[in-house]
Amino acid sequence: MPLICLGLEGTAHSFGVGIVSSDGSILSNVWDMFSPPSGGIHPREASRHHSDVGPTVIRSALERAAISPQEIDLIAFSRGPGLGPCLRTTATIARTLSLRLSVPLVGVNHCIAHIEIGSLESAFQDPVTVYVSGGNTQIIAYAGKRYRTFGETLDIAVGNMLDTFGRAVGMRFPAGAEIERKAKEASSYHQLPYSVKGMDLSYSGMLTAARKLYSEGTPLSEICFSLQETAFGMLAEIAERAIAHTKKRELLLTGGVARNDRLTDILKGVAGRHDALFHRVSPSLAGDQGAMIAWTGVVQYGAGDTLKVSDSHVLPKWRTDEQDVVWREVDD
Amino acid sequence: MTEQLTLGAESIIFRLEQWGREFILKHRPPKPYLLKKIDDLLRLSRTSRECKMLTVARSLGVPTPSVLWIDRKQHTLVMDLIDGKQLKQLVGVVSEGELRELCEEFGRLIGLLHKGGVVHGDPTTSNVIVDKQSKLWLIDFGLAEMNATVEMKGVDIHLMRRAFETTHWDHEEIILESALVGYRRTMREEAEEVLSRASEIRTRGRYH
Repeated sequence: MPLICLGLEGTAHSFGVGIVSSDGSILSNVWDMFSPPSGGIHPREASRHHSDVGPTVIRSALERAAISPQEIDLIAFSRGPGLGPCLRTTATIARTLSLRLSVPLVGVNHCIAHIEIGSLESAFQDPVTVYVSGGNTQIIAYAGKRYRTFGETLDIAVGNMLDTFGRAVGMRFPAGAEIERKAKEASSYHQLPYSVKGMDLSYSGMLTAARKLYSEGTPLSEICFSLQETAFGMLAEIAERAIAHTKKRELLLTGGVARNDRLTDILKGVAGRHDALFHRVSPSLAGDQGAMIAWTGVVQYGAGDTLKVSDSHVLPKWRTDEQDVVWREVDD
Repeated sequence: MTEQLTLGAESIIFRLEQWGREFILKHRPPKPYLLKKIDDLLRLSRTSRECKMLTVARSLGVPTPSVLWIDRKQHTLVMDLIDGKQLKQLVGVVSEGELRELCEEFGRLIGLLHKGGVVHGDPTTSNVIVDKQSKLWLIDFGLAEMNATVEMKGVDIHLMRRAFETTHWDHEEIILESALVGYRRTMREEAEEVLSRASEIRTRGRYH
């Protein structure tokens, strides 16, 4: 009998519930994204959103999976990293469910969950992962019992950069899709700061320069085009450095920004040059959602990695490389 | 006679035999998946920067291979071949005492660069060659910069620490400790400001 795990994701703007079976099938995956009428995400408002929509989202995930709460064997939740208030609300719901149903609780690292769900979908054994979202920009690979961050942003995440620019020019949050659409209308390139440092990169200078171009009257489509080409070119470079350095033969693209087709094309090119396989996580599993938490919960539970309710405090600054990856059996 | 040694992230490295001597030919080929304007600009600027910074570093007392020839149109450099092993390959092979000495020297060389206002830009153990006399050479200066600020030096140290963590997790403490001994000894009173900036940089870029 496969186990059934219900996973709760609530590290930032989205509250998601996924129900996954231990044979790898996703029974349901429902989420509700907090989208403020104006401005950015305020942690307290987002956490209120999570507690408001929480019960409805859980009920709808159970209905879509066509299971009763009693059939759940395991509760997993996003323990970090993320916004403190959002994490605490989500953890409270998870503890309540675990106690009420008398089933074990598993604390999942949000970044690692993105990798694990991508590995499930792609059947990759040992990928270099490009994880790009509104809150994170990291190049991660497994080495010595840990997922290690080989490169990351030194300031803001690529999704944050795109959203902040979008907001400055009157686009709705999140702005990635509209920027991608606009970029397709142009082919004139305006030079923007290209900032790669080793396997790290920086986006804040590019954001300032793009806003300046906009204030000078440069056509929006041309700025969007230049933003994408520069930002994704930088990502390609650090991904390529990580592949050349680790000699791994799989490249996985995940996170909300993985929905971008231009980024996908560029990284496909990178993989091809190094004879690596490439996989982009499908749109429904790319962003923040509960299925990835549930699946990682299944995997961790299988290795005996559970959490007592009394020890289940959240970890807002939980680094990817701080967790012992006890469930993987890849040799170094 | 030319033989391809490695396919790097941004270049192909060949070993070249000429006049009875061996050289390294470093070529930055086009990347068709990038916008051509960006690709051309990067390949040109990295090639000329590397050529210049190898010399600047040597003037600061840091052993680097000499460049014999540059072809800016072909994005190609020819330089001396340093016969030795990457520091990366020696970790876990040499004794702890030897490892400490090598890493102290690595830290000293990075300190010499920083003292001279230069950052390396990619200070990993792959970019240090240890020759047969156990002398250290720094290579790969395509990301190096002059007129470095405390912030830029802090990033350099952060990258060095990152490389130790991801590549040498089982010797990380010894390596970091001894590299910082060499760095502090060279940078003297300038060291602490850079090192505390490096720690601050480490916490950026993620949720707080």
